[in-house]
Amino acid sequence: MSNLAVLPIILPLVSAITLIFFNSKVNISRKLTQIFSVISLLVSCYIVWKVFTDGTIILETGAWVAPYGIILVMDSLASLLILTTNLVATVCAFYAPHAGLEKKESYYFYPFFFFLITGVSGAFITGDLFNLFVFFEVLLMASYGLIVLGGGKVQLRESLKYLLINLFSSMLFVTAIAFLYAVVGTVNMAQIGERVQEVEQQGILTTIGILLFFVFATKAALFPLYYWLPKSYIVPNPVISALFGALLTKVGIYSILRVFSLIFVYKLELTHELFIWVAGLSMVFGIIGALSTNNIKLIIAYNIIPAIGFILLGIGTFTIDGISGSIYYLIHDMIIKSVLFLLVGVIVYVAGTSDLRKMGGLIHYYPVLGWLLFISAFVLAGIPPFSGFIGKLLLLKGAFASGHIAIVIIGLLTSLLILYSIMKIFIYGFWGDKQMLGNLEKKSTKGLIAPVAFLLTFSVLLGVGAEFVYPHIDSIAAYILDPQIYIDSVLKE
Amino acid sequence: MEIITSILAGILFATAIYNLLQKQLLRIVIGTALLSHGAHIFILTMGKLKTGQPPILTDGVSDYTDPLPQALILTSIVISFGVTSLLLVLAYRTTKENNTDNMEQLRGKSNE
Amino acid sequence: MIFAVLIPLIIACFIPLLSKLKEKIHTGIFVLFVPLSIFLYFVQFLGRDFNPIRHTYNWIPSLGINFDFYLDGLSLLFALLISGIGALVVLYSIFYLSKQERLGSFYVYLLMFMTAMLGVVLSDNIFVLYTFWELTSISSFLLIGYWHFKERSRYGALKSMLITIFGGLSMFGGFILLWVVTGTTSIQEMINQVDVILDSSYLPLILGFILLGAFTKSAQFPFHIWLPDAMEAPTPVSAYLHSATMVKAGLFLIARFSSIFSGSEWFFIVVSLVGIITLCWGSYMAVRQTDLKAILAFSTISQLGMIMAMLGFGTTAAVFAAIFHILNHATFKGSLFMVAGIIDHETGTRDIRKLGGLITFLPITATLALFGTFSMAAVPLPFLNGFYSKELFFDATLHLDSTTFLAQAIPYLAVFGSIFTFVYSMYFFFGVFTGPKQLDKLPKKPHEAPIGMLLSPIVLVAGVILIGLFPNIVNAPFLLHAAQAVNPEVEFHKVAFWHGFNTPLKMSLIVIAIGIILFVTRKKWSKVYTILPGKLSLNKVYDQIVEKLDVISGAITRSYMTGSLKNYMSIILATTLIVSFVFMFITNGFTLEYDYLADVTILEVSVVIIMIIAAVATIFTNHNIAAILVLGVVGYGVAILFVVYRAPDIALTQFVIETVTVALFLLCFYHLPKLRKSTDSAGTKMTNLFISVGFGALMTMVAISAHSSNWFESISDYFVETSYKLGGGHNIVNVILVDMRGLDTLFEIAVLGIAALAIIGLIKLKKDKGAQ
Repeated sequence: MSNLAVLPIILPLVSAITLIFFNSKVNISRKLTQIFSVISLLVSCYIVWKVFTDGTIILETGAWVAPYGIILVMDSLASLLILTTNLVATVCAFYAPHAGLEKKESYYFYPFFFFLITGVSGAFITGDLFNLFVFFEVLLMASYGLIVLGGGKVQLRESLKYLLINLFSSMLFVTAIAFLYAVVGTVNMAQIGERVQEVEQQGILTTIGILLFFVFATKAALFPLYYWLPKSYIVPNPVISALFGALLTKVGIYSILRVFSLIFVYKLELTHELFIWVAGLSMVFGIIGALSTNNIKLIIAYNIIPAIGFILLGIGTFTIDGISGSIYYLIHDMIIKSVLFLLVGVIVYVAGTSDLRKMGGLIHYYPVLGWLLFISAFVLAGIPPFSGFIGKLLLLKGAFASGHIAIVIIGLLTSLLILYSIMKIFIYGFWGDKQMLGNLEKKSTKGLIAPVAFLLTFSVLLGVGAEFVYPHIDSIAAYILDPQIYIDSVLKE
Repeated sequence: MEIITSILAGILFATAIYNLLQKQLLRIVIGTALLSHGAHIFILTMGKLKTGQPPILTDGVSDYTDPLPQALILTSIVISFGVTSLLLVLAYRTTKENNTDNMEQLRGKSNE
Repeated sequence: MIFAVLIPLIIACFIPLLSKLKEKIHTGIFVLFVPLSIFLYFVQFLGRDFNPIRHTYNWIPSLGINFDFYLDGLSLLFALLISGIGALVVLYSIFYLSKQERLGSFYVYLLMFMTAMLGVVLSDNIFVLYTFWELTSISSFLLIGYWHFKERSRYGALKSMLITIFGGLSMFGGFILLWVVTGTTSIQEMINQVDVILDSSYLPLILGFILLGAFTKSAQFPFHIWLPDAMEAPTPVSAYLHSATMVKAGLFLIARFSSIFSGSEWFFIVVSLVGIITLCWGSYMAVRQTDLKAILAFSTISQLGMIMAMLGFGTTAAVFAAIFHILNHATFKGSLFMVAGIIDHETGTRDIRKLGGLITFLPITATLALFGTFSMAAVPLPFLNGFYSKELFFDATLHLDSTTFLAQAIPYLAVFGSIFTFVYSMYFFFGVFTGPKQLDKLPKKPHEAPIGMLLSPIVLVAGVILIGLFPNIVNAPFLLHAAQAVNPEVEFHKVAFWHGFNTPLKMSLIVIAIGIILFVTRKKWSKVYTILPGKLSLNKVYDQIVEKLDVISGAITRSYMTGSLKNYMSIILATTLIVSFVFMFITNGFTLEYDYLADVTILEVSVVIIMIIAAVATIFTNHNIAAILVLGVVGYGVAILFVVYRAPDIALTQFVIETVTVALFLLCFYHLPKLRKSTDSAGTKMTNLFISVGFGALMTMVAISAHSSNWFESISDYFVETSYKLGGGHNIVNVILVDMRGLDTLFEIAVLGIAALAIIGLIKLKKDKGAQ
């Protein structure tokens, strides 16, 4: 059954190609997209179950044995992230037809959508560094396609910047892979890990690691490399924002987690200490960005940055609590970021503006929307009993246990300001006199609320039902902290 | 020779980046082209130059040049080509829509 | 016990259904049964031989987070207050809130709060306590913002949320540290490990974090500023959350942890000092207020400060007095809030300057207020409970365990604060009920409140009198257990009205004497408020912080989020450059080996030199054709190098791709504006030069070092071996591409396909736009 591992990339690829042919028939495309995404979701559920009962699935593509061929490694972490990705994608697939995309859907929206999932899933499961580059390109190319979709002036402009910055980091990525190949003579991640361990990461290896870190940090939008993010993320429609916010940056931080737990772990006092600083600065500058604006889409977009900072913090502390915290937070953030982008999409749609100063009193027309946002704010800020709390608890414990006091204080203050930045939308957008609505018409939010509410329940469940999730996350963290398990399972002998 | 090609690739990177930091879109596009050339030469160099025959199995030859970097370069060239084509079209469209090819005038306002 | 805690939350889920009936039956009538039954449930535990009870329900046992309900004297006291006052408040609200209000929301929030508050006082698990703690902040936020169409409500709600959640998060930090230090999440188990905590180097941090949580919640100076603004909430809420229960959560927390922290000298200093300052400042500021509820808010602040100070003293007498006063304060302050609500309801205003002489219109209310205010002022009468705890307080200030300067000063500060307490109590009563009538200033014609509305304050005032007459009926079965939970050394001693003409009594008499003088002459000295606080206002500090947060964050963000690609690239490049160099330097990364290098031939060097010249030329050329030419030179140069270095496949590919790219470039160059001379300043040029040369150098150095660190055999040998045997091809590169790394190639083609789709999309878009 090792072929199971390839399904998360092949299914969306096939879906994407199929949908190219139905491009002009929007209604069929919509239905097919929903069917395909549900199938992928069910398959990924099955894979998670399989991986958690039988252990990591290793697929040697083309039957070329490791470390020579490309190896797909469907381990517990990858399978969980694939599941989350498909969950978010399914919700987006059901939200998209009502999102008022209109013409945009006929510019190959759905094929790009699935290509993006292909790239993301591939990046999660590949065990080959160069192959990771290829999947990065797939997802980036799909994101370029989505981001320019039906674009006007602003959109084209921001897409161009986004493309150029990513192009540079991609080139740096391949070059760094080549450097690493020169030193260790392989591109298989498990073998790289093994060989780097053998020479104790001496010489130029740490510098190559740092180059890779910056490549991933640019994609993950860490301080000070996130400049491309806020504006290019708010340009497209809410579905695309949600996909980007939930998936793209997470692939970057996932790569950091992988590479800096499997390969470059022998100079922790240098590399991982740097991460903690970067994490702290990302939190501070990210939240400052979120407070700086009255554009509600931008508020959410800026909130991506501190979240990535929190995840990096766990990687930086490199304790079992820190890593479990990072993984928990990663999954939590994938869900809640899509929820928030989709919610804000609805708010912008019903309010007819994204400027908070022009809103008010929306709760009189849209109480459900308001309360969903209200809960999301607490989920995002890590207030118990929601999912963010468990992640934050573990992250901060890891940070304390490793003696990083200052970062905990920064983290706590950031949490407060995250809450403030979202509550601003609730207080100024939803509260207020009915008269503030002016002559705004009450619009139908049919089909938009249900998918979001569905997704939000997972945030609640991840927090309230942590007992069903945390032990697994904890074992994943233990597994991540012992690179030998990964190396052995791939290289076998 | 590897040192020389490394320096060459380094210079290609340097000129690429200098071009990327310019205002005019056309120069930036030139920069991206140079960047991929630089990257490819780095990959080639990393596979040991001239250590054997071209990697095509021939009777009586046991020494071949490292084939893997070549395969990687090929993949990378094709991908770069794809990105470059999209970049060119996007650059063209952006210039037409915004009526300028000066990136400094494509900043946008703070609250868009 | 979990049922007792969660029942309000469960009932809250059904409220939306019940509120449909509100035209017929006030929703509050249904709700009333909830606190009442909880109260009766807890009453059964009262008694002399009470032992702590623990009920555990698993939640997240793998993280040590469980519903560990622990009922001891202290939590019993609070649970009874929460449910008891809760019942009275709900009863009062039935008459206070008309059926036109959004009753459903109101009771949902109120019940949510009830669960949260019961959870706080009953949880032994720090993280469950924290969960409920934040839930109290959230429900308080919603209740303050209940009339959210009012600007002041929104302001007050946000303010209270920011300050209390700030404290909550800080407390959370302290809890995590305690967890790290002790390895347990149970407070009782932590108490068993007092030494571990006191010896920990984290102690100051833990203390600071947790005290911050307590001080913000209990509105201690300088975090008290949210409480006056919280008065925007409906009066039943003020009486309940912002006087009797939620604001006492901080006191509860201190009490809970005092058996751990009292071993630290800092605990005494910080808690006593903050408490006593809050006592003085609150009562001093209360005299100045004109809104009845604002007077009560500052009075609450001051009283909370007094209890806080006593908990800080930590002596057995002080702890007992603190516990006693928690109960007393709930009775008289609760009734006074309800009185203020009645006055507001019946006259239409709470402005004390418009009120006066109401005793003839609202005689019952006036009587209730008389008891409430005089108890608050601690007038020495045997039927006022406030006097007993105040005297115990004075007594405690005189017998401190410390000889510091602070300990010497505390009795004087206590008297100072109490004088103003006396003044505002008199001011409240006499200002409203006596003096000239100003009926013309009132929006409504005043008359006595309906009996239902009076019921709750009557019960509370009955409590004031009852405890005043028989202070010992609550003592042994109730207060003693609570005090012992805070400090196990507390022993039973009878509370009596007359202790002889001792120092505390003298202090009380001084307070009354000076208080009367100050009250009578208050118009003459009211100018003092223009000096202190004068223009000094903590509210302004808060407003400034919130406002500046927006302004400064805007300024910071705008300063670097310029939208300029050049800036973004410069920062990304410079950071990568500097950090990488630093790492290379620290790890001694740079190495240079001359072995295994290929020989240098003239052909290759000439190609390289030509390419370098061409590459540099791209910077200086200002002609389109020349630019294409030099770029072509570089591209074909790369292809020639591929040939020279035995890479026929990529050489071919490079030739083809380069040719197509040049064609594309020609198109692009044709349509885009012509190349121009760079107009950058010399400084910018230097920066660009520095970044680009630096980056080139970095890459070269890493490349040379990587090439020199030839430690392992490449996996390529396997490809050479198996290319024909397993792959069936002589061209190894081809076999790698289509077989060994076929996945790469598949997705490489996918990338091209997506690019093509994206380009079609862009072109279609243009067409569509053209059609419009």
